[in-house]
Amino acid sequence: MTSSSVITTDLLHNDQAAIRLDAMPIIALSNIVKSYQMGGIEVLATRGVSLTVAKGEFVAIMGASGSGKSTLMNVIGCLDFPTSGHYRLDGVNIRSLDDRALSRIRNKKIGFVFQGFNLIPRMSALQNVELPMAYTGLKPQERRERAIAALRLVGLGDRLQHFSNELSGGQQQRVSVARAISTNPALILADEPTGNLDSKSSNELMALFTELHAHGRTIVMITHEPDIAGYASRVVELRDGMIIRDNLQNTNVAAPPRAGQSENIPLNRADSEH
Amino acid sequence: MTTLLSNLLMAVRGIGSNWLRTLLTMLGVLIGVASVIVLLAIGTGSSQSIENSIQSLGSNTLTVFSGGSSASSSGTQIRNTNLNSASVSLISNPNNAPDVLSVSPVISTSVTATNGASSTTTSVIGSTPSYLVASNYTVSAGRSISHADVVNHAQVIDIGASVASSLFATGSDPLGQQVELGSARFTVVGLLASKGSSGLTNADAVAIAPYTAVQDQLTGESQSFSELLIQGKSASTLTLAQSEVESILAAQNDTTVADLPFTVLNQASLLSTATSSSKTFTALLGWVAAVSLLVGAIGVMNIMLVTVTERTREIGIRKAIGARKSVVLTQFLIESTVISFLGGVLGAVTGIVISHFTIAGVKPVLASYSIPLALGVALTVGIVAGLYPAYRAASLRPIEALRYE
Repeated sequence: MTSSSVITTDLLHNDQAAIRLDAMPIIALSNIVKSYQMGGIEVLATRGVSLTVAKGEFVAIMGASGSGKSTLMNVIGCLDFPTSGHYRLDGVNIRSLDDRALSRIRNKKIGFVFQGFNLIPRMSALQNVELPMAYTGLKPQERRERAIAALRLVGLGDRLQHFSNELSGGQQQRVSVARAISTNPALILADEPTGNLDSKSSNELMALFTELHAHGRTIVMITHEPDIAGYASRVVELRDGMIIRDNLQNTNVAAPPRAGQSENIPLNRADSEH
Repeated sequence: MTTLLSNLLMAVRGIGSNWLRTLLTMLGVLIGVASVIVLLAIGTGSSQSIENSIQSLGSNTLTVFSGGSSASSSGTQIRNTNLNSASVSLISNPNNAPDVLSVSPVISTSVTATNGASSTTTSVIGSTPSYLVASNYTVSAGRSISHADVVNHAQVIDIGASVASSLFATGSDPLGQQVELGSARFTVVGLLASKGSSGLTNADAVAIAPYTAVQDQLTGESQSFSELLIQGKSASTLTLAQSEVESILAAQNDTTVADLPFTVLNQASLLSTATSSSKTFTALLGWVAAVSLLVGAIGVMNIMLVTVTERTREIGIRKAIGARKSVVLTQFLIESTVISFLGGVLGAVTGIVISHFTIAGVKPVLASYSIPLALGVALTVGIVAGLYPAYRAASLRPIEALRYE
């Protein structure tokens, strides 16, 4: 077995140790409230959201604009703190962290996929994928091997040296998926990943997500498109800062979630309150 | 070490992304550094040329000429206050002036020198052999005028290099030839080595003859000299020699040193005055250059602020995927330092090249301290000008930076 195929396996599967800790959820949000001051008036973006995501789940968070899904995404992504409530990511209490530790958490535990791709211009696909590993402090040789493996995995093995402006939208988004999985994070957090893609590229991207999910990756995806949400194994719907629906579902494609993972997750309390 | 290297590479890539803008920014630092080096070189060059021209007056000399600074203060008496042979013999007496080495009476005039068809304007110095020693003239061929020449009123001259080249064809030997100074014929007995035309006067456009002959033939019989050139025994006792000369002349003219109707120029004090004024001049030029370097620094800071604003989204991405504050800070700091250091190096090269040309009549002399000074300042400029923009970049919250369009 070559070293690159070892890495590929690593990129697809979360390590075995984590699977044994199934009892510990990846995301545990409890009663998250986020308020903003707008012209002297306090606006509640989320009004007490509680959500638990177990390892290996593929969750779609839906909602119209203004429903609070972006706020929730920022909290989950450790980009913003809630006004009140608790958040544990992979067992770590996020509230108690300083800026430096937060950077570390984002770097090691979360792989971001953004709507606007957010690749760094003037850097090749390979350099973009290497970047989070550079911040982790990985050796250049290992960085390179992992980045190449990740790009091969998303089907861009022949585009390593291309700059982002030389790639199509779909390709750019696959580079950002490669970047997201390169550090082997606990969570892949996708914010409207198909928002800037045509339907063909969208379907290809969702096929990639489904494959990652099938290999045990935990994915949380924010979207407002029902057919995109249809790829997920669980759909959470937000309205006016509260969860109004939390359903398990069969996925659109023939890659069902692995048995015994999602069925027993209780529906969110917010749902029953509604 | 590898992070520093990759940071450097990243900075170079960032710089390359907008090379025209970066080049213009560098140009600001380049001009600043180059002007520091060139202006300091001009300052150093001009002060050296002033020193050289003062040095060419002679070594350890005092020059006495008529006209005292306070001559008109009383205005009650008009005396015969000439510099005459009596003054010369009084000062020459070692008992009166132990620190004086020699006294040379000087009668100077300007004439047209002619040799056949060639002619040139030259100053004629009528003096004694000690004049050549005191004014640092050396005889390159032939001989110096002698005491016998002075006593005999001999019509002989030593001529300067430019007089020789104006009057005689190259290759011909001027020694023994006759030259017409005005209407009188003088025989060339010696050639003076060139002193170079440092300063404003050409020290080589000169003909030195016995003062007796000059009085006879050119200026007419007179008891007075236009000036006395006095050589002191050493630089350290020159001030002492000056006061000795002043008291002798005061006693001879029945007056006090303060009311002396002569001006005594001390070469050492002249030199120190000139040196201090040229230092002021150099410092002034340095300040002008420093201002242009400051403008360059503001340019660097401005561009870094623009860059940070422009790359807000990139900073947001980097922070979202795990870049620490210090990493972002270092990245932008290195970028501004690289810009201004490159500008500094190019500026130093430009400055050194420009300093090889004569500027405004001054041959610049590179001040050895100016290059490390200018480069050090450029480096500091990069760090200082980059600090605030880099801090701003590092303090951006990723959520806001990501939202930035």
